Amino acid sequence: MVCIPKMLTIYRFKEAEEMINGKEIIRLENVSTVYEGENRAALRDISLSIKENELVYIIGPNASGKTTLLETINGLLNPFKGSIFVSGLNIKKHGRYLRTEIGYVPQDFMVEPGEPYLAHDVVVMGRYGKMGVLNKPSKRDREKAHNTMKMLEIDELSNRPMGKLSGGQQQKVMIARALAKEPRILLMDEPFSNLDPESKRKIPELITEIHEKNNLTTIIVTHETHRMIKSCTRALVLDNGRIIADEIPEKSLQTLETYS
Amino acid sequence: MIWLGFDIVGKAVFSCILIGVLTGLMGVFVVRMRLSAIGYSMSHGAFAGAALGVATSINPLVSAMLFASFVALIIGPVADKAKLHPDTITSILFPLNMALAFIFLTLTPEIGLTSQVANVLWGSIISITNNDLVYMTTICAFTLSVIYLVWKELFAIMYNRKLAEADGINTRIFIYFIILLSGIVTTLSLKLVGGLLVYALLFNPASTALQFLEDMRKVIIVSPIIGVTTNLLGLVASLYLDIPVGSSIVLVSTIVFALSVLVSPKRRRRMME
Repeated sequence: MVCIPKMLTIYRFKEAEEMINGKEIIRLENVSTVYEGENRAALRDISLSIKENELVYIIGPNASGKTTLLETINGLLNPFKGSIFVSGLNIKKHGRYLRTEIGYVPQDFMVEPGEPYLAHDVVVMGRYGKMGVLNKPSKRDREKAHNTMKMLEIDELSNRPMGKLSGGQQQKVMIARALAKEPRILLMDEPFSNLDPESKRKIPELITEIHEKNNLTTIIVTHETHRMIKSCTRALVLDNGRIIADEIPEKSLQTLETYS
Repeated sequence: MIWLGFDIVGKAVFSCILIGVLTGLMGVFVVRMRLSAIGYSMSHGAFAGAALGVATSINPLVSAMLFASFVALIIGPVADKAKLHPDTITSILFPLNMALAFIFLTLTPEIGLTSQVANVLWGSIISITNNDLVYMTTICAFTLSVIYLVWKELFAIMYNRKLAEADGINTRIFIYFIILLSGIVTTLSLKLVGGLLVYALLFNPASTALQFLEDMRKVIIVSPIIGVTTNLLGLVASLYLDIPVGSSIVLVSTIVFALSVLVSPKRRRRMME
């Protein structure tokens, strides 16, 4: 009952991939959005194409639309104009399925001190969408979560409540949750902001390694432009909801400096 | 049926256990999903439904449950449409339910508040019938089974709805379902403690469990146990002290919560920090 629609979606997914020759993984066509409850535009007429295995940075001043762009790509926000295709499928129609293939590290992840959730459970949650309704986490799901935590050197936090962890530790748990999903696309919103100096060096290196090893298409929103990952091939500069530069990172940084 | 021979106390004990399990369980979701207004809106929705039942000669418990379920069903979609928290919509529906209840009561002025409608508002454990116990057992079995089956999704939504949605979970359908189930459970609890006291049954056991536990999977098991224990202690206290059962249960449940706050290891740790 649960499997048939999923199989059909997988079929459509593969078919769509063939249509676009398996290279372009994300496409935005004239996408515009507004901030919820306001008439102010958050994204203005954005057209964008991201290829498989690209590592793209999105930079720009505050309120330029960076987070909105990420949430629009994974279908958490609906545009009022334009279309978004992920792996050739329209995110509006197939969002729920596509999101099982997209790892997402949000900007706002801090929980209250009494939060009754163990870190390991939160990491396993990243795989829930993939499992399908009514299925329980398997031994493999738990092992995958454990290995991801080990890779990020947070396996000793497994049985600690989230509310008791520091901001940096919680951020690592969020990164582990996104990676444990074994996504094809990784969207990260200010993923290094709360980390200590050593982790700020180590975690980007790890992301680079995973990106290269798994052909993982990665999009990172950041303010910390001096910490760009070496394998980053492209940086988009956003301002006032528009892409004002889409170049190699060095040039984009120059554009950002000139612009600001 | 096995409980045909049950006396009033037997039925009261049985209903205390069933309602304790149900409200203790649903309370965890209501507290975690911040649906605090659900208790009073549902109970007054049930009150309006009971008044309508009396006015139209339908079993008041059935009409109360149908009316409360209808109210519960529209909360989620209206909240999503209005882009407001479900709690806000619940608070808007609360006075509407009361207004409708008063209108329905005026349709039967000869019965008014002295009728079985008042039982919905104040609770009346002696009016619990065998049919009520059948409803409670059925809903209890249904609720436990469904929550077991979709626990994974509810667990993730209670942690963070947006992240659950980002992982591909259809959060909307599960939240609507929890609101609907909370409405039904609230309605079932009305005969035990009444609409004015039912919130204590929903909030106190879950809040007490959260004082001690740091693992949600333990909270969901301990909260119904606390619910059953406080209900039974409240029933015993009411028999000994000759006070209304509903009030007695609420007093015991609140005392247990207050004690849990005082001895909570979380509080002690915070003080040490």
